[in-house]
Amino acid sequence: MNQLYLASTSNTPEVDFDFPTRRLMLKGESYPESAAAFYGDILSQTAEFLGSLKNEDLQVIVQLNYFNSSSTKMLFSFFDRLNQAAEAGNRIMLDWHHDVDDETILEFGLEVAEDFPAIEFHAHALES
Amino acid sequence: MTHESLSQDINPCFPGLDENLIFFYAGYFSQNIINAIGDSVRLRIGQSDASGSVRRKIFSTFIEMAQNIVHYSSDSLTPPEQTNLEMRAGSVLVTHVDNAFLILCANPVSQAFAEQLTPQLEPLRVMSSEQIKDAYRKALRSETSESSKGAGLGLLTIAKDSSAPIEYGFNPMGNGMLMFTLKATI
Repeated sequence: MNQLYLASTSNTPEVDFDFPTRRLMLKGESYPESAAAFYGDILSQTAEFLGSLKNEDLQVIVQLNYFNSSSTKMLFSFFDRLNQAAEAGNRIMLDWHHDVDDETILEFGLEVAEDFPAIEFHAHALES
Repeated sequence: MTHESLSQDINPCFPGLDENLIFFYAGYFSQNIINAIGDSVRLRIGQSDASGSVRRKIFSTFIEMAQNIVHYSSDSLTPPEQTNLEMRAGSVLVTHVDNAFLILCANPVSQAFAEQLTPQLEPLRVMSSEQIKDAYRKALRSETSESSKGAGLGLLTIAKDSSAPIEYGFNPMGNGMLMFTLKATI
């Protein structure tokens, strides 16, 4: 599969899903008018990619400054799919970057770590 | 100039809240307008002495409220069935009163929509912050309801960040519609 790349906008993150090198990155802001519309195609391409992996390593980097409630729901589905791929024998490493004083994003990350234990979760606090 | 006439001048939507006003906007909201206002709210809050955590909660509450207006206000410039590039009317206010930031929003809704909203809002007024967190965790893991254009998580997100119970009201507008107002305290 080819790389999926979307440049950031004021309300959507940079999406750099480099499927060939097994590295997926989301970075920036996420509060589109419709998170379902924005993430729909990204999630379906990712699901297709994950289905093709067999005993491989995948690095996922999430560095979001802010995400709204509907994006939160989409991210949760994304991690659910990553967890399924991990349970199927792949090694999924999630680097979760959050601002040092952003308890909301850290708490959401911890929810993800709790719900999806097959993912190797690493939280990184960033100084603002 | 008396305080009353000043409040008429600055903010006609939320009486008595003009002192220490940080931000007020009334009119049509679209995603582009939210982006622009969001930048301005971030800058204004950044100039206050609020902690990083408080600033983030104010911004998040503002975005959830403004996006609710774009999705659900009954005063729509775009056709009601259109689900992207929507433009709908409402107002949002941010002010600083007694060491707390208040964020209020208002938009017209139909009677039927008010009846859908009330059972979602009323429990949030009586739940403890732990109960709100639990409800949020459940909603995050549940399927999105059909009437929701977002995730059904928006009101819970607002309630979770509010340090006091959220307040809401529906006031008859005379044209059969109700003016819905919602208030959060950060």
